[in-house]
Amino acid sequence: MSLARNIRRFFHRLFNSGSRTIDAHTDRESRLREEIADHVALQTADNIRAGLDPIEARRQAMLKFGGVESMKEDYRDERTFPWFEHLLHDIRFALRMLYKNPGFTVVAVVTLALGIGANAAIFSVVRGVLLRPLVNRDEARLLFVGQIAADSSDVTFSVPEIEDLSANLKTIQAIGTLSALDFTVTGLGEARTLTAGVVDGTYFDVIGLKPVLGRLIGPADDGPKAQGVAVLTYKFWTNTLHSDPSVIGKVIRLGSFEGARSATIIGVLQPSVPYPVETELIANIVTSPHHLSATMVTGRLHRMTDVFARLKPDSTLEAARAELTANYQAMRTAHPEDYKDSGLHFTVTRMHDQINSRANTVLWVLLAASGLLFLIACSNVANLFLARTVRREPELALRSALGATNAALRRSLLAEAIVLCGAGLLAGVVIAAPMVGVLSRYASRFSVRAADLTLDSSMLWIGVALAFIATIFLAFIPRLPNTDKSHAFAVSSSGTRVTLGSRRRLRIFAVTQIAACFLLLAGAGALLRTLFVLETAQPPYATARVLAINLPVMTDGRSPEQITTFYRDVRRRVASLPGVEKVSAAMIVPWRDSLALDLHMQFAIDGAPKEDGKEDPRARFRTISPDFFSTMGIPFLEGRDFNDNDRTGSERVVIISEALAKQLFPGQDPLNHKLHWTDPLLQFSHMSPEPRRIVGVVPEFDDTGLIPEPTMTIYQPSDQDGFSGRLFVRAQGDPYALMPVLTREIHNMSDNQPVERASTLDDVRAEVMAPDRLNAIVFGGFASLALLISIVGVAGVLAFSVSGRLHEFGIRLALGASPRNILSGVLSEGFVIALIGVTVGTAAGFALVRVIAKYTQELQIPGATPLVVSAAVILAAALIASAIPAIRAARVDAARALRSE
Amino acid sequence: MSPTNKKTDVLQGTLALMVLKTLDVLGPLHGYGLARRIEQISGDLLAVNQGTLYPVLLKLEQEGAIESEWGASDNNRRARFYSLTKTGRKALQSETQDWQQTAAIISRFFEIKSEDLP
Repeated sequence: MSLARNIRRFFHRLFNSGSRTIDAHTDRESRLREEIADHVALQTADNIRAGLDPIEARRQAMLKFGGVESMKEDYRDERTFPWFEHLLHDIRFALRMLYKNPGFTVVAVVTLALGIGANAAIFSVVRGVLLRPLVNRDEARLLFVGQIAADSSDVTFSVPEIEDLSANLKTIQAIGTLSALDFTVTGLGEARTLTAGVVDGTYFDVIGLKPVLGRLIGPADDGPKAQGVAVLTYKFWTNTLHSDPSVIGKVIRLGSFEGARSATIIGVLQPSVPYPVETELIANIVTSPHHLSATMVTGRLHRMTDVFARLKPDSTLEAARAELTANYQAMRTAHPEDYKDSGLHFTVTRMHDQINSRANTVLWVLLAASGLLFLIACSNVANLFLARTVRREPELALRSALGATNAALRRSLLAEAIVLCGAGLLAGVVIAAPMVGVLSRYASRFSVRAADLTLDSSMLWIGVALAFIATIFLAFIPRLPNTDKSHAFAVSSSGTRVTLGSRRRLRIFAVTQIAACFLLLAGAGALLRTLFVLETAQPPYATARVLAINLPVMTDGRSPEQITTFYRDVRRRVASLPGVEKVSAAMIVPWRDSLALDLHMQFAIDGAPKEDGKEDPRARFRTISPDFFSTMGIPFLEGRDFNDNDRTGSERVVIISEALAKQLFPGQDPLNHKLHWTDPLLQFSHMSPEPRRIVGVVPEFDDTGLIPEPTMTIYQPSDQDGFSGRLFVRAQGDPYALMPVLTREIHNMSDNQPVERASTLDDVRAEVMAPDRLNAIVFGGFASLALLISIVGVAGVLAFSVSGRLHEFGIRLALGASPRNILSGVLSEGFVIALIGVTVGTAAGFALVRVIAKYTQELQIPGATPLVVSAAVILAAALIASAIPAIRAARVDAARALRSE
Repeated sequence: MSPTNKKTDVLQGTLALMVLKTLDVLGPLHGYGLARRIEQISGDLLAVNQGTLYPVLLKLEQEGAIESEWGASDNNRRARFYSLTKTGRKALQSETQDWQQTAAIISRFFEIKSEDLP
């Protein structure tokens, strides 16, 4: 009761204006009372004067005045917000009713909270990631120019390509370029590798960003004679340098693969979305010697630069696309040999859309999933609500017979709906906040924008909107009792009689729920299966005790020979540390680096006949040091390992993978055959196309796919035309325990050498698999919520149906039906509902797949197993849900059921 | 029950007009006085349900057509006196016109006989 009073007080306070009306209203009410008193007194006086005795005089006066209360009522209905006042009253009543039905209330509120919370959370992620505008000035005019390869991966541009593209543009104001690369940075605390980009002087103007400190790189910083300058990105500056303003003016050394240069830090960039890579530092072109080399400037196929363009204010995206595409086509026509079978196609997109491109599908799918969940939640609560209303039919009928209008009855339903949805909203917002956290972590895989997602009031508004929809849905779905009051009285005297229409509606809701739930479950099943396959597909070599460490190549002031010697010394000295079993070096860490550096190059076997019109085969290219395979625990199939004599200047040798041996040397011994590289990319590397002798064959070692697949691979010694940069240590005990000693040992040799990202291969694998796991968790979570809600729904429908048919069961039992008949009857009712739901779900799923397939190719249709399993899960769940009401039905006491009539 | 209902329904609409006209002709009056006058003029229309007058008065005051102040009644009782405001007078004028028009139209309808129509 006091809760009700508090709520009313709350409403008063909430509707400030309303409370003023209520004050004014009480004021007028007292006036009315006064006037009535005056009037009656005057009339009485007149009547007395006319000769009546005082009592009769007053009685006559009152008679003449008419019904005081009904007059007041009429007046109030006209003057105040009677509807609102009645609603307050109804809400109080609803609170009492719900308090008396705690089971119903809790289930309904929790269900609504889940539906509202999940949707509010996903909506705010979608809003934050997809809809929010970028901070870049005039972001609508910012374009991203790109090429897409046949395997739909993004391809960057080469400098000659950019020159051809940007010739005579009328729709574009300016073009800016950025090449992503890693710098080994010294002079900024401990030596470290930073993800960086080098840009031309127009880049920042095109991209439309401002500095928060100092200045940005401008046209004056262009050209080979400019001073080296660097800009820090906001996140790096705040997180790693703790927003130290004195960093401006500091001179640092930036080491990249062709030597190191000095650069002065000139500014800090405002917080913005980094694209295409999450840069920590942006420098001008002069800081990367490679960017000034002939390879870079003249190599048409040497692509490593991303292109951004700013649209002129009066031109459109379509015009710019047409113009740029024309330039691109002209360029391809002018250099047919370079593009003959490249399979590239050209794209111009808004920057905003480009950044969202990967997140789009996923987030909309997620939104659809949560929409389904909302639908399930609402229909479930509607179900319970409807069931309750039908059971309350006698009560409603009685009220209607006593003069309550339909509007009044509807209002009392509305009051209950408001209370339920209001509570659901509160609980939903509470659970939405942590959900946003999980989801933004999830979304950060697809879009860098998810990282800086913050909670704001929009989430609350979405929740309110959803709660509103749910309220309307709940209040207007149940049918009101028949307006024929005589009939209503009959109903009220004979207990609950379920009307056919209501029961049909209940079933429809249950079927909808099951169908939606089935869709979610099937989707989650497919994801779980992917995860399961990944988890069980163990690599064929020991990954737990092998530590992978990034040891980036430091070119600063060292000759190639010195670098080779350095890595050789590192291997030797680390191998002598206690607890170290094997040490080797290579160019990549499996899984972690391989996605970015998966080089497949064309090669040919010496002496093999060249087939006309057929391309040379491609093999994955890796460089490794001696002992690499023994560090990984992989035995040789044939031949020998590399040794310290396989170095630049000595005979060129390679080791090949089993797949290559089987494919190109079927039935022969591949050893001592020779092969050579023929790939056009070779011209940009230091590698020679000279023949190389095969000295060894190793089993498959897929360092790229999480599910190992045979791939033709050619291994070269890292000391021979190769490079390393990653150290692998096989430990005897705990691998991580080695790190302090190991780091100290390496720093003793060179204190500028970064020693980074040490992690066992097991952990690398887990880290790479985390997205799949998160995928499965998010969708699995959704599906299990849906399943839970649906089970409650089915149980609710059946419980309701059983309680409505107790009388019938009583008669059937009395006539000799066995309880088993009744039990199986109810069970099969639940089973049929679930079966129809699954069928509808399958049909809807196939229709949905067809619709979605029109918009995106990257759709994975779950295989038969997840579908069958989800169907089985749902049917089993439906049976369990039906069991409780079924048992109740079978236990009906015939005599009592009959007597209740 | 229902005939009375109908009668007061009509009254509700016209009562406001009667109040305004009465105040216009007789000057400030208190509630009881108004009720008496309207009863006098309209015959027994208001005889049964004098109470319906007061909501109308409050509503008119709310709308600004009339205003009220305390004064003394004939037998020296303190009573609230209602008087017409400028807005009320204007409203009365336009209402009167409307009413007369409506009344004229309605009465013409009542006079119609079938032979009058072509």
